[in-house]
Amino acid sequence: MKIISTHFDEPRAKDIVYYESTGGYQAARKAMTMDPHGIVDEVKASNLRGRGGAGFPTGMKWGFIPKDAREVYLVINADESEPGTFKDRHILYWNPHVLVEGIICTARALHVRNVYVYIRGEMLREYRVLQDAIEQAYRKNYLGEHIFGTTENLHVTVHRGAGAYICGEETALLSSLEGDRGWPRLKPPFPAIKGLFGKPTIVNNVETIANVPWIVWNGGKAFAELGTGRSGGLRLLSVCGHVNRPGVYELPLTVTGRQLIDDVCGGMRKGRAVKGVIPGGVSMPVLAADELDVPFEFDALMNDTRIRELEVRPGVKFDLGGGRTLRTMAGSGGVVVMDESTDMVAACARIIRFFAEESCGQCTPCREGSGWLAKVVTRVEQGHGQSGDVDLMASIADGIAGNTICALGDAVAWPMLAFLTKYRSEFEAKLAKPASQRMERAAQAGAA
Amino acid sequence: MAPVTHKQLSPDIERRIQQLWSRYPAENVAKALCLPLLTMAQEQFGAVDDEVVHLVAKRLGLPPSHVFGVVTFYTMFTRKQLGRFHLQVCTNIGCMLEGGYEVFEHCKRRLGIDNKGTTSDGNVTLTEVECLAACGYGPVAQISEKSQPDIPLYFEKLDRERVDKLLDALARGRVPEELGV
Repeated sequence: MKIISTHFDEPRAKDIVYYESTGGYQAARKAMTMDPHGIVDEVKASNLRGRGGAGFPTGMKWGFIPKDAREVYLVINADESEPGTFKDRHILYWNPHVLVEGIICTARALHVRNVYVYIRGEMLREYRVLQDAIEQAYRKNYLGEHIFGTTENLHVTVHRGAGAYICGEETALLSSLEGDRGWPRLKPPFPAIKGLFGKPTIVNNVETIANVPWIVWNGGKAFAELGTGRSGGLRLLSVCGHVNRPGVYELPLTVTGRQLIDDVCGGMRKGRAVKGVIPGGVSMPVLAADELDVPFEFDALMNDTRIRELEVRPGVKFDLGGGRTLRTMAGSGGVVVMDESTDMVAACARIIRFFAEESCGQCTPCREGSGWLAKVVTRVEQGHGQSGDVDLMASIADGIAGNTICALGDAVAWPMLAFLTKYRSEFEAKLAKPASQRMERAAQAGAA
Repeated sequence: MAPVTHKQLSPDIERRIQQLWSRYPAENVAKALCLPLLTMAQEQFGAVDDEVVHLVAKRLGLPPSHVFGVVTFYTMFTRKQLGRFHLQVCTNIGCMLEGGYEVFEHCKRRLGIDNKGTTSDGNVTLTEVECLAACGYGPVAQISEKSQPDIPLYFEKLDRERVDKLLDALARGRVPEELGV
């Protein structure tokens, strides 16, 4: 069963003639004959959840657009930059028309006349492929004026980013698209009320929109039935790290971490044991080897009690706000598999340095905290850690979390707390070494 | 004070601006084209120095301070001229697990430069970059060539041998497209 990955590794799918010969643009034609509300209802019934990271129900998001809105924008978030995640790049390159078709269906549903695709600046290859697909659709009159012979107009503009992870955050993306630095905005107002150029705006991830044609063609109920619980459809997971077959896979949401590694990715390389798995991009808390029998599904990863709750220090749970605890989340679907040979302190330090580099600098807890955290974790990694550094790192992370405009603050705090909760002894061992070496040296000096 | 410049945006860029102008609301278009125009200007001039900042600001009717703020925020804009080839090596988690740091260190040694350095002959600038969204195929590098914006190549599954081939080709003045994807 495939929805989006149908044409992966098929170079001809970039050609609209081939794409149409396999049933492409049928859903767009159908959407043009449907009542816009009907499309929104199907997407609501489908249980499609946002594939960018938050897992928010797409139909509900669409429902927030004010009824009397005169100009509504659709913005496609193609700024894929979350380390470990490379599925949207795959869609853009191998199956660009499914995105264009999803855009047409969504624009119809939301009365959108102007769509912007914000694509990562580094993805030049994908930019050209997507731009070409859009131009083909214009030539067929699926985009442009009076599309499909109707009275509707629809324009799609690809807007390239210029290198900034934070622009994947939807309000930072809007700031960047408007020509500003990519600074996130306070919510509310949410983009659905006041978004791009001050107008109601829906920002959806590439994979989210790429699912819409299938939903329009087969119905929301069928999509919901492919899924489980409150999550409909299949999901793309991009797997990297120490497995035999890394890559992008479209899978049922019931697949567990263990099945993903053993059955889908051909097991661990060199027959080594798993040490940790990040389930959805590096901002999501890492899972230990004994937490992998949980389905990689939005609700399961948040709620399954087989996954430990993050701690600020042993016995003290991290407060996500309102007394809620945090296990992990499905995030962006970027799975990072680390085997027993991995230095978890080094892995953690690399992740923290990334977020320190990418903090936009707007909020003090994140700007200062991420840099401070990077300094401390790097000195621990390099064996220069001081006693108390483990608690210090937890305390800094706890001070950042929940205290910033956007989720980047959480994105630096959560992995730090997760690595400390699950691999605390590795951090402590790095501290202990220089002290014992010093004692050894002192003893040797004394003996001499 | 604006620096004196004889630089002019190319006719091709002017044509592309005209095409894009109608795609954004009239009251927002000048600012919205800030990033696209900076990208084009950097392709033309190789870097966004003060002169180019003022050129872009003037063309769009924006305060130079705004354009300057944008230029310094985004990593793909460079204020200084880079080497003919810009070799960007990812060391983020996916690549790191596959030996990204070893690849990066090898590049530094062979080129005799540090991160963000340029070889003395001006041929190669080396930069350590963050995740390039190709984590399953690491270690990954991206190479761009000055005034050749049409070579959008990633180089995947790099090891010492492949890096050596890549650096040999750059030394001979060409991007080894046959090694890229």
